[in-house]
Amino acid sequence: MAGSMAQMKLGMFYWPCGHHMAAWRHPDAVADSGSNPPHLIELAKLAEQGLFDMFFMADSVSFWRGHLDAMTRDSYGTWIEPFTLMCALSQHTKHLGLVCTSTSTYDQPYLLARRFASLDLMSGGRAGWNLVTSANKLEAASFGRDEHMEKVERYRRGREFAHVVRGLWNSWADGAFVQDKESGLYLDKSKISILEHKGAHFRVRGPLNVPPSPQGEPVMVQAGASDDGRELAAETAEVIFGAQQTLEGAQAFYADVKGRMARYGRDPDSLKIMPGLLVCVARTHAEAAAKYEQLQDLIDPQAGMQLLSRRIDFDLTGYPIDGPLPELPPNKTVSSRAQLFAEIGRRENLSIRDLYRRVAGARGHMEVIGSVAEVVDMMETWVREKACDGFNIMPPVFPASLIEFNQMVVPELQRRGLYRTAYEGTTLRANLGITRPRWPTADADAALRERLSQSDVIEFRGAG
Amino acid sequence: MSRDRKIRLNAFMRPISIHTAAWRYPGSYADANFNFGHIRRFAERLEEGKFDAFFMADHLAVLNMPMDALKRSATVTSFEPMTLLPALAMSTHHLGLVATGSTTYDEPYHVARRFASLDHISGGRAGWNVVTTSNPNASQNFGHEDQLEHGDRYARAREFYDVVTGLWDSWADDAFIRDKERGIFFDPERMHVLDHKGKYLAARGPLNIARPIQGWPVVVQAGASDPGRQLAAETAEAVFTAQSDLAAGRAFYKDVKARMETIGRNPDHMKIMPGCLVVVGESDAEAEEKRLRLDSLVHYDSAIASLSIALGHDASKFDPDAPLPDIPETNAGKSSRERAIKMARAEHLTVRQLAQRLGGYSGLAMVGTPKTIADTMEEWIETRGSDGFTIMFPYLPQGLDDFIDKVVPELQRRKIYRTDYEGRTLRENLGLPRPENRHFPKT
Repeated sequence: MAGSMAQMKLGMFYWPCGHHMAAWRHPDAVADSGSNPPHLIELAKLAEQGLFDMFFMADSVSFWRGHLDAMTRDSYGTWIEPFTLMCALSQHTKHLGLVCTSTSTYDQPYLLARRFASLDLMSGGRAGWNLVTSANKLEAASFGRDEHMEKVERYRRGREFAHVVRGLWNSWADGAFVQDKESGLYLDKSKISILEHKGAHFRVRGPLNVPPSPQGEPVMVQAGASDDGRELAAETAEVIFGAQQTLEGAQAFYADVKGRMARYGRDPDSLKIMPGLLVCVARTHAEAAAKYEQLQDLIDPQAGMQLLSRRIDFDLTGYPIDGPLPELPPNKTVSSRAQLFAEIGRRENLSIRDLYRRVAGARGHMEVIGSVAEVVDMMETWVREKACDGFNIMPPVFPASLIEFNQMVVPELQRRGLYRTAYEGTTLRANLGITRPRWPTADADAALRERLSQSDVIEFRGAG
Repeated sequence: MSRDRKIRLNAFMRPISIHTAAWRYPGSYADANFNFGHIRRFAERLEEGKFDAFFMADHLAVLNMPMDALKRSATVTSFEPMTLLPALAMSTHHLGLVATGSTTYDEPYHVARRFASLDHISGGRAGWNVVTTSNPNASQNFGHEDQLEHGDRYARAREFYDVVTGLWDSWADDAFIRDKERGIFFDPERMHVLDHKGKYLAARGPLNIARPIQGWPVVVQAGASDPGRQLAAETAEAVFTAQSDLAAGRAFYKDVKARMETIGRNPDHMKIMPGCLVVVGESDAEAEEKRLRLDSLVHYDSAIASLSIALGHDASKFDPDAPLPDIPETNAGKSSRERAIKMARAEHLTVRQLAQRLGGYSGLAMVGTPKTIADTMEEWIETRGSDGFTIMFPYLPQGLDDFIDKVVPELQRRKIYRTDYEGRTLRENLGLPRPENRHFPKT
């Protein structure tokens, strides 16, 4: 039984039509999912009915992900911009966290900080920012850049970006807005903190022109699994959504990242690790497997090959579909996930077709296909064995798979005491059980100030 | 008189009131700039009043003013407009949703996506106010010590507009086939790759969202300078201007619409809507009293600073309760000095009242009964001073409620304002055509 084990946290990971790449062709799928507001609102309401911590949406600032002919067969290319969507969804939900991706490589910290602070204010404290540094090199062309920024540089910029955003979120001390009609004093100027940031990538004065939001700071989410990504997460992330394939791998990742947090003076419980998990559930194992096969059979071979090409950062065009994966050249911009696929292919002697079928559902994330007991056993084991604190659930087809998850998996998780039966609070932090991180003020937290100052990207000035 | 020209109305909602003392007015909401519940109700009321649009100006910094003025200002903080508008789209069904997007500090790919997304979320009610950012405090939030030079800002803005509208045209309206049987999601022949490479900007495209419901969100502008007017004549479909009186309004109207004709645009395809503060009373005298009371709440320190700037002369030694004394000529700011003196003489204002007018709001205002206000509005429309107004409320919620409950019915009674929305999109309501996709013309 669960004993004193902490309850698991769940994200509802949205992907147009569903996470399985052929989802849009499924008879139950809503083919225009990504640009269908009533459908997206229904998904948010379903996520709240399932007591999910958050609605999570990924993003890319480019249409391009590969060859055009393969993209014509894929539903992931056009969708409503996630932040705009989160603002709309805030009006149809009361407890659900609203988390979306925004890139630190092609945006400005002042613009981003005010958007997420505004969403947090408007939603009563439910905003979260998934910081990505844009792994898709094709995004550069959307902003007139010939070359994608090198990975190391992207992370340096991302780190400084995160610090500036946090600094701007801390522009106003509590009680700054006195609003005294009698005296005519609107604001207590001693409670303004002007950031005056001057770093390698940004010079930002502040203060932010959005007042303090209920969470103070929206929740910081990250996905990076590389060494740079882990270090940035240990320093700044409060939720990690990463890709894990095996229990052992996930345990190693969990121990590593939580271990790194001490050097930033952080409590390991202030970070929730929630890897992606594709769930295909049914009454029986056989029924679940059949449902999954139905989706696999809908994969277009060309689109499947392109998906695999993207995952391994290597163009497979021209290679025989039933032959083995070719030897991959060393690649300096390669994602940490690419190695994983190559490894699986070699180990199990899989053809290109086998391999793309393997990744078509969860794009390198963990999958669980089975009966309710099988699914819940797996989830329980991972949390109990310290492989994660919860999951970012990836329904293969929307809305059908989310409805099934709510109807079958949620009650069993609750029966075992592994999952909430009601929201703990109204803010995302309250539901995740994480408190607002400290930000050093001018006259306190000398040690924290000192450490951040040494980071060469941030410089503190006094409060205004 | 002709009834075919209907008045168009925008509501100026950021700051929620332009008047610096609005938050102190008895009964007003001091936190209206960032209280979402209040703002949602305002939007719902504006829709009851059949307004064309809810308009969010924007500033990319805390406003540029000395700390001693700033501490008395309710306009310091508010919602980021593109966060607020998608939420308001959920509780309204016809109201246009217009926000400023900076061409100076944002990227065309981001701007095109967000406004296209708002248009999809709202069923075709988005408008983009194309603004070049000149606030020096904003430049300091984006790593620029100096601002772009004025001419450069406008040249960049024009190119920015070309890129944004080009990206909106990335997809033909019928590009997405979504044929489950054949497995074809879209037709690549119905997709256009912009591949823009210009002097200031470059962007490949296509945009990663379908073409907006309106084709393009409505393009709005505010520029009053010569390059601003030219940009508006070339690109704008609605113009928000600051005009101090009818004569100035008519001159502006004539100039901008003539510029449109010169380049072959139909002048009806732009609606000029100057900003206008409206104070409603049971009698004209009561409305004047409300205005004076509102002005009197401007803190004297801020007020006298504004007066000194306007006069180019230190006004702090003047007797606050006496008429404005004669001021010696100075070189600085001749027109603002003359305007202040004229205002004081015409309305018999004391030094204090004049200072508080200048420190509160001193632009175009209509103060009186619903009849007086409707008369004035009708005169503006009839004599081609404007196509409508961007209404600024003196204090919230009463100023807004007064307008909806008293002025709107009077305008409707005169048949110079709609009694119901003409359509579902902002374009349909403003009477603007849907732009054809330049890459996929109708055959």
